[in-house]
Amino acid sequence: MNAAELQQALAGAFGDRIVAAERSPRRLYVMTAPAELLAVFDWLLAHLPGLRLATSTAIDLRDGVGVFHHFAINGSPLLVTVKVVAAKPAPVVPSLTPRIPAANWIEREMHDLVGVDFAGHPDPRRLVKAAAFPDVFPLRRDFDPEAFKESIGERLEY
Amino acid sequence: MNDSSTELPSAATRRPATDEGTHTGAAAAASIEPKATDPVGRSVVQIGPFHPLLEEPVGFALTVEGERVVAIDARMDYIHKGIERLAQQRTYDMIPILLERICGICSVTHSVCFCNAVEDLLGVEVPPRARYIRTIIGELERVHSHLLWVGLAGHFIGYNTVFMWAWKYREPVCDVFEMLTGHRQNSALPMVGGVRRDIQAQHLPAARKVLDEVDEKVQMLTAAVLDDPVLAARLKGVGVLTPQQVVDYGVVGPTARASGVATDVRRDDPYAAYAELDWKVITAPEGDVFAKAVVRLLELRESISILRQAFDRLPAGELNLGLLHVPRGEGLGRYEAPRGEDVHYVRSNGTNMPERLKVRAPSFTNIASFQASCLGASIADVTITLAACDPCYSCTERTAVVVDGGGRIVGTFRDLLQQSRARTQALAREFGRRPDLDLPELP
Repeated sequence: MNAAELQQALAGAFGDRIVAAERSPRRLYVMTAPAELLAVFDWLLAHLPGLRLATSTAIDLRDGVGVFHHFAINGSPLLVTVKVVAAKPAPVVPSLTPRIPAANWIEREMHDLVGVDFAGHPDPRRLVKAAAFPDVFPLRRDFDPEAFKESIGERLEY
Repeated sequence: MNDSSTELPSAATRRPATDEGTHTGAAAAASIEPKATDPVGRSVVQIGPFHPLLEEPVGFALTVEGERVVAIDARMDYIHKGIERLAQQRTYDMIPILLERICGICSVTHSVCFCNAVEDLLGVEVPPRARYIRTIIGELERVHSHLLWVGLAGHFIGYNTVFMWAWKYREPVCDVFEMLTGHRQNSALPMVGGVRRDIQAQHLPAARKVLDEVDEKVQMLTAAVLDDPVLAARLKGVGVLTPQQVVDYGVVGPTARASGVATDVRRDDPYAAYAELDWKVITAPEGDVFAKAVVRLLELRESISILRQAFDRLPAGELNLGLLHVPRGEGLGRYEAPRGEDVHYVRSNGTNMPERLKVRAPSFTNIASFQASCLGASIADVTITLAACDPCYSCTERTAVVVDGGGRIVGTFRDLLQQSRARTQALAREFGRRPDLDLPELP
């Protein structure tokens, strides 16, 4: 299945609840609301054999925080990106971890760096941020490295 | 080494426990300490985190009942290099050189993967000569990386002859890399739209000669590994990943192919010159450590064959497209690293620096699959099971501490390594063999 065919199938299943954009035969980007994320994921899992979560990107989009899940299909050139945008100041997105273990670490990483909460994550501990690191998110736009260095003093106490 | 519990403070006093279940890193530390409520007979074995050989520290906590592993937890918050944020403050021309420094082995991987992502954003095809040069440096990297793994795997199970031989033949491959690019690891060749410099035709005959020699030794090593009954007994059925677990955990690369899942970006989503060359995706159905070793050894020969074809067909022509501007947009790049699929996501806002760069290296998903492959394993098999996905792993050698149910330190990772080697030697005695791989005499 190439990107155009998948775009058509998704439009048939979800109507105006998603906005799908095909950039090339190998790449499809699907925009949806956080509340629809699990339904879209379940549909993809049921219709695309060999679907796996390649990775996810969290990005500060000024008025919200985007979570882009990049799905790959073993044996296929197609990458499907499902995008949701959660509102600031406390962005919450449903967790995929109960459905697919591959989401576990990447969701923890996205929480550490950009500060998205994943509702329903079974193990929401820090992954890449050290224990002594204060509760700030280094990939947010309002993160100021100089002010941060000043706030923690000479060094972090590990 | 740590046989006396009085010399070292107990694990419980070294690291204070804090409240669990919150987003605090201290909870990660707390969860791996023995608790009064733990069932009797359960111990926690700490593997990692630091070793001078390795650039990336990672800690594993194995909960064991007797010899059997019942739970595994990973801790990887020791170092965060902040490469993604650094990249967002550099121009598209500078980023490939920064990304080469993500990993000491996969330097071509990350820089070409980033170029693939930006070229996907732009919708351009790079010139043929640049595609072949990317293929050549990528496959040289795969050859030296797989040889490195074969050596480490031998070391972990006590086959130090394999370690010495594999690393001996890795050296001339790194020398070829230096001859062609100017550096043993960080070539600084890839750039968005092509490659920065050319490789010289006068160096190709010497490179071919090294390939011929390495090919011969790899064949010998493969035959020796396949024929060795001790290795088969030691590694077959150990650390098995089922095809379903491979998909669930998103496992990629040789680790997935050894479970019969034929995923390879070079074939699935071709980049560089792979679509024009003749090669096979190597798979094995068993999913155990032996299959992972066999897949890597056979891939070495495929890589050498790809290199020979690329040398033969290296076309003349432009080196890069001379791109000056990246418009608004987003792109996804993939690359088959020695350890599996690498993914980069690039989002451009029309300036000369990306708005966001996301890097996912293959070990990120492969290491997470230890949750599946280590459960139920015997403690002597854990070392090689963890090493089997080639997770940049030698860091684990030094500072592991075995803690019994009362928080007393009873052993170190050295003991674990000894257990692993003792199992191999016991098997060797059973088969009436020498305690190392039988390799023919050196010429």
